[in-house]
Amino acid sequence: MEIKQTALAGTLESSDIQIMLSKGTDGITIDLESDVEKQFGDQIRKVITDTLAEFDIDNVKVKAVDKGALDCVIKARTIAVAQRALQTQNQPAWEAF
Amino acid sequence: MNNEIVDLHLNDPQVRKTWEDFLTSLGITDFQSQETAAIDFTLGIYEGDRLVATGSAAGNILKYIGVCNKGVDQGSRFNTIVSALISRLFQQQIFHLFVFTKLKYSDSFQHVGFHELAHSDVAALLETGDSSIDDYLDAIPRVADQTNKRVAGIVMNANPFTQGHRYLVERAASENDVVYVFVVNTDASLFNTAERFELVKQGTADLKNVIVVNGGDYMVSYATFPAYFLPTPDQQVDYQTTLDARIFRDRIAPALNIKTRYLGTEPLSRTTGIYNQVLQRELPPQVAVKIVDRKTTTDGTIVTATAVRKAIADDQLDSLAALLPPSTINFINQHLESLQFRIKKGMNINGN
Repeated sequence: MEIKQTALAGTLESSDIQIMLSKGTDGITIDLESDVEKQFGDQIRKVITDTLAEFDIDNVKVKAVDKGALDCVIKARTIAVAQRALQTQNQPAWEAF
Repeated sequence: MNNEIVDLHLNDPQVRKTWEDFLTSLGITDFQSQETAAIDFTLGIYEGDRLVATGSAAGNILKYIGVCNKGVDQGSRFNTIVSALISRLFQQQIFHLFVFTKLKYSDSFQHVGFHELAHSDVAALLETGDSSIDDYLDAIPRVADQTNKRVAGIVMNANPFTQGHRYLVERAASENDVVYVFVVNTDASLFNTAERFELVKQGTADLKNVIVVNGGDYMVSYATFPAYFLPTPDQQVDYQTTLDARIFRDRIAPALNIKTRYLGTEPLSRTTGIYNQVLQRELPPQVAVKIVDRKTTTDGTIVTATAVRKAIADDQLDSLAALLPPSTINFINQHLESLQFRIKKGMNINGN
């Protein structure tokens, strides 16, 4: 599925992650900026990819700026940004939690 | 209101003074009205009654970002203020942002997801958001086997497209296999972007090896070269054009295999004169610079778009036939009233 609009969730504060989704043409591409990229880059990418998969989003550009977010935060921000991008934020996807 | 983000209303003289004093203490001292007038909104963080961080936005460009790190983790306030600016711009559906900053702060911005487009010894230009220079370059049409072709580039505002522009393009087209004509995207001229683009297309339609593309945010735009549109001291023009030239040299030219950039001499505009000098300093050896002398009419008048705009303002259309290709003349005849109306409403026609 493709997204409907560019969307953003999260902040650049410590322990948070800012995620932006925009229209993509080449599957899920993730541009990740993180101080712990070396240690946790793959894990961060996996959480984002898995969460997007629950929304059936398979064609999207992801830009993520991580400031040391835990997995649960990454997941929550990804859910928020996915719902905003799909314009379904008024129908929370409880099953995705 | 400790450490909360607040709107700073710079129209309030007291707020304005606090803001200027704070930025001055951080070494930002340029508060000329054409710089500050462009600001759409300004955010700040106070600790007690002391301003400790601020940032502004003008269109899609972040400006006047200053942060005091006394007593807090290095970078935390910077992240807060940049984050607040980004969210606010996103709410306004502005998804592609630029920042023009001192070189020493480039790393800080890269840390919050910006990518550097180019830097000089003093300054850097960075972008972030939902599109990037790579997306822009990917979308430009290419010809078969382009890497083995002789490719040239020309950047023009074409306000409007004259016989002078035409002469420059013809010259490049005759000496190369492919010529890219990049039309300045920023909409700050008498002829708007769509009109300028269309007139360049029509005026070069018979030249089969010319590809007309929009210059986007990367060539002579408000982001790369605001001085093109605003009166600015020479030194700053040099800073800005150096970055503009390096983006062309390091990002655009290699992606499209452009080996030569053609320039028209510019006897009338000081800013364009400096720009041309900087291009000659920065582009070679990667990109050769070819300067083509201004076309003159049969009676020796130099063909410039400035003269054309003046003729429109003065309603002296008879003089235009020698200066313009038929497509541009037709357009002006059909839209004369609306063009003159724009001038009356205050559109500056003496700049670029």
